[in-house]
Amino acid sequence: MSEKGPDFVDQYQHFVREGWDAWSRQMQKGPGAELPGSEAMGRLFGGLDGYGEWLRSMAGGGPFSGMPQGAGPGMAAGMGGFPPFAAPPLGDSPEVITQRFEEWLKSARDALGMPGLGVGREQHEEQQALLRAALDYAEHYARYQALLGRVHERAVEALKAQGPMGTPSDPETLRALYDRWVNLAEQAHAQAALSDEFREVYAAVVNAQMRLKVLQQRQVEKLAQQMGMPTRKEVDSMGERLQAMRREVRHMSGLAEEVRQLRAEVAALRAAAAAPAAKKSAPRKPATKKAGK
Amino acid sequence: MNPNPFNIDPQRARDEVETFRRKLESGMQTLREVGPIELGVTPREAVYREDKLTLWHFLGEKKPTAKVPILICYALVNTPWMIDLQADRSMVRNLLEQGEDVYLIDWGYPDGADRWLTLEDYIDGYLDRCVDVVRTRHDLEAINLLGICQGGVFSLCYTALHGHKVRNLITMVTPVDFHTPDNMLSHWTRGVDIDLFVDTVGNVPADIMNWAYLTLKPVRLNQQKYVGLVDILDNPKEVENFLRMEKWIFDSPDQAGEAFRQFAKDFFQQNRLMKGTATIGQRTIDLGDIHQPVLNIFAEQDHLVPPAASRPMGELIGSDDYTAIAFKGGHIGIYVSGRAQREVPPAIHEWLAER
Repeated sequence: MSEKGPDFVDQYQHFVREGWDAWSRQMQKGPGAELPGSEAMGRLFGGLDGYGEWLRSMAGGGPFSGMPQGAGPGMAAGMGGFPPFAAPPLGDSPEVITQRFEEWLKSARDALGMPGLGVGREQHEEQQALLRAALDYAEHYARYQALLGRVHERAVEALKAQGPMGTPSDPETLRALYDRWVNLAEQAHAQAALSDEFREVYAAVVNAQMRLKVLQQRQVEKLAQQMGMPTRKEVDSMGERLQAMRREVRHMSGLAEEVRQLRAEVAALRAAAAAPAAKKSAPRKPATKKAGK
Repeated sequence: MNPNPFNIDPQRARDEVETFRRKLESGMQTLREVGPIELGVTPREAVYREDKLTLWHFLGEKKPTAKVPILICYALVNTPWMIDLQADRSMVRNLLEQGEDVYLIDWGYPDGADRWLTLEDYIDGYLDRCVDVVRTRHDLEAINLLGICQGGVFSLCYTALHGHKVRNLITMVTPVDFHTPDNMLSHWTRGVDIDLFVDTVGNVPADIMNWAYLTLKPVRLNQQKYVGLVDILDNPKEVENFLRMEKWIFDSPDQAGEAFRQFAKDFFQQNRLMKGTATIGQRTIDLGDIHQPVLNIFAEQDHLVPPAASRPMGELIGSDDYTAIAFKGGHIGIYVSGRAQREVPPAIHEWLAER
């Protein structure tokens, strides 16, 4: 299979891309063409691309052709684009890439340790903080990707472990094999995703991203101030005040309604209290009239 | 040595790929011919609007026989049209056919102006005013409230605070215990600095929410689903159904920042509804204050709200009249599957009719 595989898989890949290009051309025809959203189609072809990569890995140069030599960088490379997450980098082994990344990180951190001087000292510090946050985020993101990469490897190992058992449950089609792999990948993911390590890494990457974003926003705010433009902070502040006022108005409207109801009740009570007096005086009225006649 | 550990015939594999290619090719025509996708198919009228919110009243083909209307309180995430997706997959339509009178809160799409809306604004404000509108329209002291997912949590809080306005409470796929071991979303959320997150992003973009949901089952939802689509590309009706669901999934509103902050911290992180320490405004939510009849429907294969998250409700509420129904399906299947159409609306109708 591995000898002839790339031929038809390449054709498939080519077709998917051709289809996507054709689709894009259709979308460019402008209004009038009643077509589903390009976003949905992007997802469709994104998913199909992943499937195509999977087929390619099955057909040659993938995890199974690498099996006799055991799992290793070759396996990781063969799985490129395989899952929608954790695509392992092609070329160097993950260990080499990790080592390079860490070396770069260390030298970058050292460079950021230099203090600022003079008039631009504050800006210098802000820039350093921004870069440090970016490095921090890159570091946490790499941990997250590595974790997902391990999940992926576990799924592949599980699929290999299932091997052909010579039973009717052995997959006879690529699609059946793919579906089995998906189940194993999801199982491996669920297992990892509920671990304490995943929770810690997930939170760390989100928090690092937010810390970076805050500093980016601060830079944009400064720029906006210099350009005489309203900043997000100012708009937020106004929004908060507006919402507080709306609550107060609601509250006062409720009170006004309560007052209206109380007034109506008081009016009804007054009317009720006045009624007996009116009844008492009522008989005298005709009498007076009579007397008048 | 056979490099392929599975006994898949190479010729058969090539044929398979060729068939797949042909299906995709011919399917392009189907995709081109699919018209605009619409959700929310049952005729309806707007009976109340406030800010982004619309209160809809559904118009059935026959007059409702139920004396007390149902107000559906949907979640803030996604639009509510999943319950009225298409004519043959509509919980709303099926409830109308059972003789129920149905209202729905459509929260709309919050923008920057809604950044500071709190849970109190939603529950004591919008929801309460919608309940009052329905009560006034029907001249009733109390109505039936049906809460879905996060809307179910809102409905529980509301009923605990404004019990005199609720005659019967129905909750669907509603969590009360956010810390069950199988709750992936809650597990991930617990270490996140929510204050930093909301202070940074303001309103939480729908894309972030969707990304989080997709990564719960990353391969299935990002890849396998679209591979499966090729199988049905020769069937325009099926393709339309698929795209309708896609539209519903990805056409989702942003989340008002403050409401998100409170929901994520109090419910997901601190599990305060379960502990009886959740607050709306200045008031503490004690589910023991719910004395109305409660019907709780959850889905056995729900990956977003695991059954274990919903089951404890019966022990927490003060009502003696509690019914739980375990539906065989998932978080979405409970509304759109064929089984759901046959089982869920009749179960709701029968339960209400007995009360």
